[in-house]
Amino acid sequence: MKVSVDVCYKSLNKYQEELCGDKVEILKTEDSDIIILADGMGSGVKANILATLTSKILGTMLLGGATIDECVETIVKTLPVCQVRKVAYSTFSILQIFKNKKAYLVEFDNPSCVFIRDGKIVKIPFVERLIENKVIKEYHFDVLLNDCFVLMSDGVIHAGVGKVLNFGWTWDSMAEYTLKSTKSTLSASRLASMLSKACDDLYMQIPGDDTTIAVARVIPVKEVHLFTGPPVNKDSDEKLVSQFMKGSAKKIVCGGTSANIIARVLDKEIRTSLIYTDPSLPPMAKIEGIDLVTEGVLTLSRTLSLLKTYLSNDIDYTFFQKLDLENGASKIAKVLIEECTNITLYVGKAMNEAHQNPNLPFDLSIRMNLVEQLKDTLKKMGKEVETFYF
Amino acid sequence: MFITICVGSSCHLKGSRQIIESLESLIKEHHLEDDIELNGSFCMGECMKGVCVTMNGTLYSLKPDNVEEFFNKEVLGGLR
Repeated sequence: MKVSVDVCYKSLNKYQEELCGDKVEILKTEDSDIIILADGMGSGVKANILATLTSKILGTMLLGGATIDECVETIVKTLPVCQVRKVAYSTFSILQIFKNKKAYLVEFDNPSCVFIRDGKIVKIPFVERLIENKVIKEYHFDVLLNDCFVLMSDGVIHAGVGKVLNFGWTWDSMAEYTLKSTKSTLSASRLASMLSKACDDLYMQIPGDDTTIAVARVIPVKEVHLFTGPPVNKDSDEKLVSQFMKGSAKKIVCGGTSANIIARVLDKEIRTSLIYTDPSLPPMAKIEGIDLVTEGVLTLSRTLSLLKTYLSNDIDYTFFQKLDLENGASKIAKVLIEECTNITLYVGKAMNEAHQNPNLPFDLSIRMNLVEQLKDTLKKMGKEVETFYF
Repeated sequence: MFITICVGSSCHLKGSRQIIESLESLIKEHHLEDDIELNGSFCMGECMKGVCVTMNGTLYSLKPDNVEEFFNKEVLGGLR
């Protein structure tokens, strides 16, 4: 089975700081996913600059094919020297997971990555090396499906120090909590959000340090097909439907006319619900063999706004409560966020004349614009997106 | 008897939900739950005439404020 990596991170800023001194970079290459977490010395602007430089240099150089030795050398020689401490310093962790299931982890002075496999905390053997007088830990290993990795800045293991807990959260307790939480959450985003909330609670909502959690979970490739909008040319209906129905992907149809086309071509009945789970969205429908059937433009607009909120990194538990609602938009967003790695969009470009009505309280003629925004947002979320227009 | 109300995008914006609610309460008021079944439908392809409602194969164009008139005249009239 092909694997994909579900990645999400969340940062808490040190109390009263506007900028975070930790920085996470998530990159995709042809054959791998890379997650970089850097923690700049100090806090505020200075730390933010150090962490940003470090993560960007690492990311850009690794993408360009540089070795870790070259990266570290560049960082050491580039980082501005702190006037107070007379050193240039930022810790970092880099996790690279390849599509062929090989993985590489390198750490410099960050707390060790928590690694969970088969419901256990696992220690991976590592090699220590000296590069430019800095001790670097390197791990080479193979990943398995459902492996979970948590990278963190030291603000996590110090959470609550001297207040709620004498010595802070500590790596061992944090790892235990992560293990428990992986059992009750499926996606990286829910796990990151849960761990970050735990830190915030231990700090009693006054974080004493920048605190960052980055989660990577190895998941199977999950495909989704989404069909919206009738084709310009009616003759294309059958071709579209047969491509759309191919394979074991989860299937979503957004739009009344689109649903009618599917039902006609497949010779199935549409059963439209009259239950308004959300008063501002039209109800959903059912067609045998299709996972979700919803109205089009209004529902997709709402879905898009949920996805954008998700991307803003400004989400907490209330977001997931919204995501768990029973309306069409939440259901689509939930599938796209949590049950999808690769998405294929089947987009018909026909215009509905009645949608060009300026008297309607909402501009319904925006499907193409919505589709473009949706594509963009999904790509930013790390999904692989392919689009076919009809 | 079946009454089908369009809940497509355009009709939705023109008030399908209010129409469904009104019809539901009118049916209850007249104790006609056993005689009339309400259905939803996606786009009926007559968006210009929305909100589209069909009964016995006839298309009616309703607004939230003429539901009662439609009910009294067409629905009750049709049942008599």
